[in-house]
Amino acid sequence: MPSRRRTLLKVIILGDSGVGKTSLMNQYVNKKFSNQYKATIGADFLTKEVEFEDRLFTLQIWDTAGQERFQSLGVAFYRGADCCVLVYDVNVQKSFDNLNNWREEFLIQASPSDPENFPFIVLGNKVDVDGGNSRVVSEKKARAWCAAKGDIPYFETSAKEGINVEEAFQVIAKNALKNGEEEEIYLPDTIDVGSTSQQRASGCDC
Amino acid sequence: MNGTDIHDLSDDADYAAASKQGSSSMTRNDSSKRSSSTDPEDAEVVYLKDNVTIHPTQYAAERISGRLKLIKQGSSLFMTWIPYKVQSSNARPSAGDKNLYTIKALPFSDIQSIRRHTPTIGWQYVIVVSSGLAFPPLYFYSGGVREFLATIKQHVLIVRSSEDANLFLVNNFQDPLQRTLSSLELPGSLASRIPSSSGSTSDNNLNNKHTPEDGHLSSTQRNNKQRQKSHDPARDISINVLEKFSLVTKFARETTSQLFRDNLVDGHGPNEKRRTNWASKDHQSQDMASNDVEVVPKRVPVPSDPIEFDKITLVWGQPRQHPLGLQEWSTFLDYEGRIVDPNALKKRIFYGGVEHNLRKEVWPFLLGYYSYDSTDAEREYAWSVKKSEYETIKNQWQSISPEQAKRFTKFRERKGLIEKDVVRTDRSLSFYDGDDNPNVRLMHDILLTYSFYNFDLGYCQGMSDLLSPILFIMKDESEAFWCFVSLLERLGPNFNRDQSGMHSQLFALSKLVELLDSPLHNYFKQNDCLNYFFCFRWLLIQFKREFEYEKTLRLWEVLWTHYPSEHLHLYVCIAILKRHRAKIMGEQMDFDTLLKFINELSGQIDLDPILRDAEALCVCAGENGAASIPPGTPPSLPIEDSSIYHNQDDEVL
Ligand SMILES: Nc1nc2c(ncn2[C@@H]2O[C@H](COP(=O)(O)OP(=O)(O)OP(=O)(O)O)[C@@H](O)[C@H]2O)c(=O)[nH]1
Ligand SMILES: [Mg+2]
Repeated sequence: MPSRRRTLLKVIILGDSGVGKTSLMNQYVNKKFSNQYKATIGADFLTKEVEFEDRLFTLQIWDTAGQERFQSLGVAFYRGADCCVLVYDVNVQKSFDNLNNWREEFLIQASPSDPENFPFIVLGNKVDVDGGNSRVVSEKKARAWCAAKGDIPYFETSAKEGINVEEAFQVIAKNALKNGEEEEIYLPDTIDVGSTSQQRASGCDC
Repeated sequence: MNGTDIHDLSDDADYAAASKQGSSSMTRNDSSKRSSSTDPEDAEVVYLKDNVTIHPTQYAAERISGRLKLIKQGSSLFMTWIPYKVQSSNARPSAGDKNLYTIKALPFSDIQSIRRHTPTIGWQYVIVVSSGLAFPPLYFYSGGVREFLATIKQHVLIVRSSEDANLFLVNNFQDPLQRTLSSLELPGSLASRIPSSSGSTSDNNLNNKHTPEDGHLSSTQRNNKQRQKSHDPARDISINVLEKFSLVTKFARETTSQLFRDNLVDGHGPNEKRRTNWASKDHQSQDMASNDVEVVPKRVPVPSDPIEFDKITLVWGQPRQHPLGLQEWSTFLDYEGRIVDPNALKKRIFYGGVEHNLRKEVWPFLLGYYSYDSTDAEREYAWSVKKSEYETIKNQWQSISPEQAKRFTKFRERKGLIEKDVVRTDRSLSFYDGDDNPNVRLMHDILLTYSFYNFDLGYCQGMSDLLSPILFIMKDESEAFWCFVSLLERLGPNFNRDQSGMHSQLFALSKLVELLDSPLHNYFKQNDCLNYFFCFRWLLIQFKREFEYEKTLRLWEVLWTHYPSEHLHLYVCIAILKRHRAKIMGEQMDFDTLLKFINELSGQIDLDPILRDAEALCVCAGENGAASIPPGTPPSLPIEDSSIYHNQDDEVL
C-alpha cells in the first residue's frame, strides 16, 4: 500500500433538487438506498477508493443542494473539479430542461482550463418509477442532447434499484482521471500519508 | 456637504466640483504622506459623496460618517469609503470602530451586487456584496444613490436583476441561473477581466495612495500581498480568490488588533487576571472603552497557549439550570394571564429552557406570536381570528383546480418541491414516520400556505426543517403556521434569493472569530476558509441538523430569548469551533477536510457546555462583538418594517 501513488479525483454532482443526487452518491459509495436522506443543505462529499491499472485513486464526490437559490455557494465547491455529473429525473421535464443551465453555470463558476473538453456525464435517474410509465423524457431525446454537447456519455440509472450506478461511476472515474492526469500529485511515501488517506476513506461510510 | 433633499439627483455640478476637489486632495495626500511611484494622473475620482454613513448599532451616537468615492484607474474601478476623523473628543465610535468599517480600494471586479434600499422614512442606503460578504449598509445622508449607480454603470458591466428592481448585479453573465444570485466570487469573470498580476498591482497602488487617514500600510498587509504574489500560478484562479479574501480580512484585521487593545488586557498574563478584567468590563459603563486605551498596555493578546484560552471561556458560562416547569411558570403570570416581567422570564429560559409539556404554551411568546402583555382572553380570541385567517390563505391554493394548475407552472414547481422535501424531513421521528402520516401532510399544507402568505419568499429548502419542531410542539395546524410565520419574520432573510441574510451572518461570524480567536482566524485565512461556508448549514436552519431533536428544541428556545444577545447563535458557532480548534489547526485541515469534519460533528455536539461557552464568548465580546454584526443581520428584525418582502406580499395577495 505505502508504495502506491495516490491521486485525488474530484467529481461534482449537479442537478435540480430531488433528482436523486444524494441517493446516487450513496448508492455508489455505500451500496445502499434509503428514502430518508434529507434534502441537502450546503454541501458534502463522500470519498471512495478506486483502482485503475494497478493504481489507487481517491474519488471525492461532491453533493450540493439542488435549489437554485443556493447556487451562489457553488463556486467554493466546484473549484478544481475533474469531472462533472449532471443528473435529471426522467419523470420531470423541467429537470431535463435545466441541464443546460447547470452545465453553463458549472463552466462559469469552476472555470476549468479547457472548458471545451471538460468531462461531463449525464445521468437520467429514477428509471424505476412506475415501471417507466411516468417518464416524460425519452432516452432518445436525452442522447440527442448529449451528442449535441460534445458526445457526453449518458446513462439511465436508478439509485433505488442500483441500476447502472456502478457502470456510470466507472466512466466518471475514468474520465475524471483523464482530466486529472496532468494535475496528479505524487505524495511522498510516509506513514503520515497512509493514515491520512485511511481517515478519508473511513470518514465516508456514513 | 450639500444638504439637498435626498431625492434630488441633479447634483451633477456639485459632483463635478467634488471630483476635482477629490483628485486634488488625493494628490496632496499622496505627496505629503507617502512617496509613491505611481503617477497621480493615473487614478481619477469619478464620484465623490460626503456624509455617507454607517450605522453600526441602532444608536444615533454611534453612526460613522465618511466619504464615498469611486476611483478609476486604468480599466479598473474601485470604491473607497473612509470615515471622517473624530471631531469631538467624546464622540462614541472609537478609532477601532471606525477602522473596522473603512473600505479601502475595493475593486469592482470583486463586487457581485449592490442592492438599493429606499425606506419610507430615513435615508436611502445601499448594501454592497463583495467576495461573498455583505458590507454594512451605506446610508446616503446627502442623497446621490442614483448618481452613484449611474457612475458605476459608465465604467463597469452592471445590470438590474430581472427579479428585483433594486438589485444591481455586477459581473453578471446573462445567465438565468446566475441572474438570481448576487453573491460570491466569480473566478471566471476575474480570470478573463484582469490578468492575474496587474489586478493586484493596481490594487496595491491604490492602497498606497488611499490610506491617508491612518497613514500607514501595516507590514502584515504588505507581506501578505507579497506572499500572494510570490505564489504566482498564472492560470490558478485561487490567487484571485485569495486576494479577495485578503480584502475582506484587511477590512477586519485592522480593527481587531485595535479592538483587542481597546478591550482586553495583557494577553499573556495569568488567567485570573484576564478573567477579572473581562468580568469587570461587563459591569462597567459605556465610556469604558476610551478609558481603556490609556490604562491598558497596548499589546495584542494572541494567547500563547490556545488551550489556556479555552479554559477561560469554560470557567465563564453559568451553570445550566433545570427547565422551567408548570408551577414556576404560573408565578410569571398575573391573574389575567399577562407575563409580568418578560425579561425575568427570558433570562430564566435562557439558563434552563422549558419543560417539554409547557413548550406549547411558552413558545408562541418567545417567537413573538403572542405579546407578553396579552391576556388569556385576548389570546383565546386571537386564536379563532387567526385560525380563520389561516383557512382563508390556505383556501387560495386549495381552490386551484388541476386544470388551472396545468397552466400555473410556478405553483406546480413550488408544490413539487415541498412534496419532495416533507417526505425527507425528520421521518425517523415517530411523529412523522410511516406511510401517509397525517403530520407530513400538515407540514406540506402549512408550507404551501406559507408560500402563498409570503409569495415572494416562497418555499426554500431548509424551511421544512424549521417547521418540523414547531409543528411537533404546537400540534395545531393554524397555531403552528402562525408561529412559523413569526419565526420567519426573523429568519426569512436566510432564504432571500440574493442570500443576503446568510452573507451578513457569515460576515459577522468572520469578524467575531477575528475578535475572539485571532489565531483561529489567521488559520482560516491562510487556508482559504474565510468564507465560513462550512457553517452554512448551522446558520441556515439554526443547528437543526446538528443536534438530536430534543436538544434542538432546547437550543431554539434558548436562542429565542435573545438573551444576552439576539445573535447568540453566532457565538454558538464560535463556541463549537473553539472546542475543536486544536484539532482543526493541529491536523492542518484544509477547506474540504474542514467542511467534512464540521458536517460529521452532527450528532456529536454536547449542547450544555456549548451554551455556556457561547454565553461566555458573548459577554467577552461585549459591545465590540455587537458592533461586528451588521445591522439587520438575522435573526434581528429587518431594519425597517416596509422592507423587501413585507410590502411585496400586498402585490400578490
Ligand atoms: N424511485 C426512485 N426514487 C428515487 C431515486 N433516487 C432518488 N429517489 C428519491 O427521490 C427523492 C430525492 O432524492 P435525493 O437523493 O435526496 O435528491 P437530491 O438530488 O439529492 O435532492 P437535493 O438534495 O434536494 O438537491 C428521495 O425521496 C429519494 O428517495 C430512484 O432512482 N428511484
Ligand atoms: Mg441531496
